[in-house]
Parts: sequence; C-alpha cells; structure tokens
Amino acid sequence: MNKLSSALLTVQGLRKRHGERLLFDIDTLTLEAASAYVLTGANGVGKSTLLRILAGLDTAEIGQAVFDDKPVALHPYPSLLRRAIVYVHQHPVMFSTSVAQNIGYGLAARGEPKARMAALVAEAMDWAGVGYLRETDPARLSGGEKQRVALARARVLQPRLLLLDEPTANLDGVAREQVIALIPTLVQEGSTVVMACHDRDLIGLPGVRRLKLRDGRLEYRPHKDEAGDKP
Amino acid sequence: MSLFDATAHAFALLFSGDAALWRIIWVSVKTSVIGLLLATPPAVLLGYAIAMHRFPGRRIAVWLAQCALSLPTVLIGLLLYLLLSRRGPLGPLEWLFSQSGIIAGQFVVGLPVLLAFTLAAVQALDARYAETARALGASRWRVMTTVLHEARYGVMAAVISGFGRVISEVGCALMVGGNIEGETRTITTAIALETSKGEFAQGIALGIVLVALALLMNGALMLLQGEAHTAGGRA
Repeated sequence: MNKLSSALLTVQGLRKRHGERLLFDIDTLTLEAASAYVLTGANGVGKSTLLRILAGLDTAEIGQAVFDDKPVALHPYPSLLRRAIVYVHQHPVMFSTSVAQNIGYGLAARGEPKARMAALVAEAMDWAGVGYLRETDPARLSGGEKQRVALARARVLQPRLLLLDEPTANLDGVAREQVIALIPTLVQEGSTVVMACHDRDLIGLPGVRRLKLRDGRLEYRPHKDEAGDKP
Repeated sequence: MSLFDATAHAFALLFSGDAALWRIIWVSVKTSVIGLLLATPPAVLLGYAIAMHRFPGRRIAVWLAQCALSLPTVLIGLLLYLLLSRRGPLGPLEWLFSQSGIIAGQFVVGLPVLLAFTLAAVQALDARYAETARALGASRWRVMTTVLHEARYGVMAAVISGFGRVISEVGCALMVGGNIEGETRTITTAIALETSKGEFAQGIALGIVLVALALLMNGALMLLQGEAHTAGGRA
C-alpha cells in the first residue's frame, strides 16, 4: 500500500463491458503524481475507453476510487475531478471562435477574471509555440497546430492529470516532434500525463512508465531504461 | 380578367401602398414573428435536451417530434378552437378570433418544426464538441450554449423553416383567427377569401409577398450555409 499513499489516483475493481463482452477487468490502476505513463495495447483493447472513463466521458463498474487521498466516485463525475483531470481527443476539435478563445475556454468556464485569463492564454500560446495563430480561424489550423492548441487549452488549466489519446497519431515530421517536445514539460510542471499511444518516441521518453492493456488486464511495466525492456 | 391582367393589377396594388393590403401583410408578419419568438426558446431547449440525453422513452420522444411535423394545421386549428372557444378551458382568455389566438396557433404550428430541426442539427454535430466542453470543465449551461453555437447554422435553418411554416399555413389562422378584416386577416386567409370571391389581383399580390418572403429567408439561409461550408472547408 506504499504506492497508494503517494498516488494521485487509484481505481480498484474497474470493469468495462460492451454489451455482454467484458472489455477489461482491472484490479488496480494507480497513477503517481507528476509522472508520465504510456498506455499501450492492441487496437480495440480499450485504451481510449479507459482514458474516457477516467475523464468522466464514459461509464464503467468501479469498486472504489481515491483521488489525492479522497474517496471519489467516477459516476456521476465529481467537480473535484472535473477541475483536476483534462482529456484531449485523438483528433481534437476546435470551437469556431478564435485560437486564443479556444485556449481560454476552460478558464472562462471557471470564471477566471479577463486580465488573468489573457495573461495565462498568452503564456500557454508561447509554451505551445502557437502565438502566431492568436487570431487565426481555428478551421484553418493543420493537424499538428490543432494538437498543440489542444495541449495548450488543456495545460492552461494546470491539470493534475492529463489524459492524451494518441497525441501524435496522424502527425509526421516536424509537427510530431513539436508535440512530443511538449510532453516532458507538462510532467516537469507537476501534471501526471497518461498517453494512449503506439508511438515509440513517446514510449521512449525519459521517465515514462508503461501500462499495457492485454486480454482485458492491465500490466505495469517498468520504463525500458529500468528493465532493458523493449517496447 | 386574364392572369396577365390580374398580375399587373396585383403589382399596381402592391406599389400603390394599398392600406388594406399592407395591413394584411403586417398582421401576418407580426403574428408569425411573435409566435416564432415565443416558440423558439422552448423548442430549441427541448430539441437540445432530447438530442443530448439518453433517457427512457427517448426514441418515442424523437418519433413524436417528427410526427408532429406532419400534423395538419387545420387539425391544430380545430384543437385550439375547442380550447379557446367560450366553453373551452382557455375560453376566459378571449383569444378566439383575435391576433392573440393566431399567435397561439403560430406557436403550436412552429414549435414542432423548430424542435425537430434543432434536434437533427444537434444530433448531427460531432459529439467531441460537447465532450471537449465538459472535459474543460464547462457547466451544463455552458456546454449547451457551446453546442448550440457550433450547431448554429442548423438552428438558424430551424428558425427559418419554422417561419416559412407559420407564415404560409392557412388552416389554423382561419379557424382560430376567423379572417376578420383589419384584425385577423392574414396573407393566406386573405388569398383563400379573395380567390373564392373571384378577386384574383389581391390574392396574387399577397402571393407575390409570400414568395418574396420565402426567397428572402431561404436566400439568407443559403448565404449563412455557404459561409459555414467555406469555414469548414478551410481546415
């Protein structure tokens, strides 16, 4: 139980069914504070579904869950988790306002004062390297720009837990590298990051721990540097 | 009178500023706009709620909303007549054969169109918009305003279609309004009356106004949709 005491989130008895079929049955999922995880597994094994359950966008049978040492329910999703956990889609959508308003969306939802919001948005845009897109129509963004704006939109809320669904899927070249370069800084800033992915460069990032969904079970694997394990 | 003569006379009536004619147009537009303004908020909220939530009986609600689109307006008129008549439960309101009665009719006629079109527009919207809003901590109200903003072209189409339905319906306005000159005579009830009297010029003039309104509203909708496609196509 040592792990539980330093854990950001622990979920026990997490079962998800699709109709009669049991998608996964996880005894214990433990995520440590300020850590990075990759969630791997074959297509259709339920990686995205697991992230969506943790984000309150999907439901499952839950034994018990503890966030920051406080017992929580995942359904209905409590405001404590809604403020602390942010999920980013594989293909993020942009609201049809401006890029700056997209990044400030969550801050506006929290009622942040306009001046503070403007400063935080500007800082987040610099962080993601999308300052030049401030007033751009979001419909004009490329896939890589959308992903970086979505990361800035999530990061500006200073989430305790950030759930990224295939953040580099369908990106190549510079766009992919730009996204990968942002991930370690999120962890350095204190967020726990869980990425569902197959991207070897993300899996190989320093300090990233591996979770693997296989046959409906969750396996914890040490980082490849720790165990000489190959992804 | 030949069709050509009647049409020429109709244009002459329109441009001469004939007070009775323009009064009819005014009553029509006024009752339609007020009826629509009253119907839009509940219809949009209900359409959004049905589209976004899973609840027992949801499929029945969708089915009823779509069926309501095909309700004959004369049947709505009959039901309203019975409700508003002196012995009806709403008789004390004294809305029968008044503009208030027509507005109530336009409300009932327009509501299913607005509801069904809003429901379709919200259902057609990518679910990730609502999920992203929720994932970023938006309240239920903010999620709704965000989703409706993203589905705004569909909602505008709902309003324009609703306007087309209420301004062009004749059965309900005739039964509940009574076609009283200067009071409850609308474009469609006047066309029916004038045609039955063999007075085609006024009927054609009013028909021209109806067609012009339809062209105007649908032109506006096409412009808006064109803008939406242009915006979407830039991604």
